[in-house]
Amino acid sequence: MTKLYEPSLPKLMEAIATEASGMRGMDRRNFLKGGIAAVAGLSSVQMIPKANASANLPPNLPEWQSYLGRGVVAKPYGDPSEFEDLQRRTVPWLTADAASSISMTPLQDLEGIITPSGVVFERYHGGIPNVNPDQHRLIIHGLVERPLVLTMEDLKRFPTVSEIRFIECPANGGMEWRGAQMEALQFTHGMLSCCEWTGVRLSTLLEEVGVKPEGKWILAEGADAAGMSRSIPLEKALDDTIIAWGQNGEALRPEQGYPLRMLNPGWEGNTSVKWLRRLEIGDQPWHHREETSKYTDLMPDGRARRFTYEQECNSVVTSPCPENPLQKRGFVEIRGYAWSGRGKIKAVDLSFDGGVNWQRAELDDLVLSKALTQFRFKTQWNGEPWLLQSRAIDETGYVQPTLKQLRDERGGWSIYHKNSIHTWNVTESGDVFNVQIS
Amino acid sequence: MFKSLNLGVAAIALAMSGAVSAGPLGIGSTATAEMIAGWDIDIRPDGTGLPEGQGSVADGEGLYEAKCASCHGLFGEGAGRWPVLAGGEGTLDTLHPEKTVGSYWPYASTLWDYIHRAMPYPAPQSLTDDEVYAISAYVLYLNDIVDEDFVATKESFAQVKMPNEPNFYIDNRPDVQNTRCMEDCADPSEFTIVATVNGVTPTGHFKEDSGVAANHYGGDEPKAAAVEVALSDAATAGQAVYDKACQACHNMGIAGAPKVGDAGAWVDRIATGMESLHSNAINGYQGPNGVMPAKGGNMSLSDDEVKNAVAYMVESSR
Repeated sequence: MTKLYEPSLPKLMEAIATEASGMRGMDRRNFLKGGIAAVAGLSSVQMIPKANASANLPPNLPEWQSYLGRGVVAKPYGDPSEFEDLQRRTVPWLTADAASSISMTPLQDLEGIITPSGVVFERYHGGIPNVNPDQHRLIIHGLVERPLVLTMEDLKRFPTVSEIRFIECPANGGMEWRGAQMEALQFTHGMLSCCEWTGVRLSTLLEEVGVKPEGKWILAEGADAAGMSRSIPLEKALDDTIIAWGQNGEALRPEQGYPLRMLNPGWEGNTSVKWLRRLEIGDQPWHHREETSKYTDLMPDGRARRFTYEQECNSVVTSPCPENPLQKRGFVEIRGYAWSGRGKIKAVDLSFDGGVNWQRAELDDLVLSKALTQFRFKTQWNGEPWLLQSRAIDETGYVQPTLKQLRDERGGWSIYHKNSIHTWNVTESGDVFNVQIS
Repeated sequence: MFKSLNLGVAAIALAMSGAVSAGPLGIGSTATAEMIAGWDIDIRPDGTGLPEGQGSVADGEGLYEAKCASCHGLFGEGAGRWPVLAGGEGTLDTLHPEKTVGSYWPYASTLWDYIHRAMPYPAPQSLTDDEVYAISAYVLYLNDIVDEDFVATKESFAQVKMPNEPNFYIDNRPDVQNTRCMEDCADPSEFTIVATVNGVTPTGHFKEDSGVAANHYGGDEPKAAAVEVALSDAATAGQAVYDKACQACHNMGIAGAPKVGDAGAWVDRIATGMESLHSNAINGYQGPNGVMPAKGGNMSLSDDEVKNAVAYMVESSR
């Protein structure tokens, strides 16, 4: 009996008949009574012409109120409403192949600080491996007293933690270093998500294996086709690194490293190695491809920074934005996110004139370390053009820089770690454009 | 982070001594030497991890052309958006820096490690150690870092010095710090407002009823969905093979590969007959129009799997 909610009389009759034929006596009589009552309601609904959208508006009875809705466990794992269209999207010309590419989170459509697991941004270097958790192993070896191989069951026996932390690709905004390119928030800032992560602290696992005194670095390696590998200083591992299997209340999604990933809170996303199969403790870094050829920051003098791990304090207005233009004059609440890889957000300021004058925005109550923080600002808009900016300050006192300040220091070719103040040009029509002020 | 590394090490020593007194929880099993040996594939700049074996520049040339050139170009120049491997010396401080193995990579060991763990792109960890030595040697040769008679071995490879190594330094951020000025912080008469480059943003997701015309932004409109083609059983089976092993080149048209769905690019090829297409796909092909590595570089595919993939591509491209 799965079709009761569907407003089609013949199908409904058929469904009721099928269901009733498997029943006996009183069950059957009671069931038919309920079913026929539903059909009676339905037929009156069908008198209303479907083309008339106002049929569901007051003072009319909305169609969906006039018959029974879907029952429990019709969908044991639920989906968003069919009227919603929350989607990751990519910029096709960015990369050569979808298995080594990136997609962005629809920040313009999100509510609150948690990114739904299905739209967390994706970054793969060799596609998503289809890992069977029963056959997945984590090996910890190298400069340790007791090299261990751990099953998923083993891992879940350790003391656990659950923490809300953002994860951001260091190339977020990277297309904008040399000029405004992307006419949409999803593409200027969408390599950013924030989830609740559950797992065991890496420090707990390191106590279990016993790191030898000369051990100072950890190689983390994935079980994907790229064999993703990054060198992590032991200092970070002992601070707050999580070896996670949970995400937003359930197992990690395959896209986020099912069944096991590293999570280095506040650090560039690439270090949070997914599909984690191996941790090797060594006395020096490995200088692998993703920490030499890539994920190093080229400076204007031709030299390059390496091990640029932290995601510095950043913020962006998510409404209005190019996808969310202003449509009505009068009251408007400006909304956006701020985040810092160095800790909590202390304050966010807004400017409507391109950074000449600033006013303090309100922060939501939930201000967590290394997590998205929501800010809001209530104002009026009456068709005047804005150069709308947000500027975040974190608990270390660091103030989000201007694009000019970043470019003066780093030039335009470093690809990574662009955390400058962003500008939306809100026009008289309410349309919103991505611009840069130089 | 790194400025306080020494402090961090002191803290580690304390943490570890605390751990010893607490004692391990006794969870998990011993990782045996045999288990570790199979997975411990990493190579370090000092040569740690390099296996026995050898490969010359001459050995590498043929391997490179068969397994690498279709994406990276015959001379390492790169095809489409696939990585450029050679050239770019002296460009890093210019307006058009080209970061290649020769111009940018600080360590040769990274080349061995990465080729071994992740290449060829459709068939990772399929190369023998000798093949990795040979291809690594050839890529170094393409960058004028070794001579044409160079033979890469555990010993000789660890001796290779890369020219750009001294130009890397540890993260020194925060390098830029704004001040929290609240009033008269900038002179608007000095502003230059730079607008977005037009037409490069996919804007298909802009809400149609938002009151803003999507085409206002000049971006790509979503293309009409391709007409569904009824596939044969072979082609249906071949689609999975295509997704795994062929689409890297045949989706975008890399290295002269005919794009799937591009009937114009396929019509003459289809006219040569399925036998000829099968032979080129299985054995490889090199001609004026492009390079096709044998089985797309994925030798683990059976001949039948390759034939199914060809069927999928042909039936989708008529």
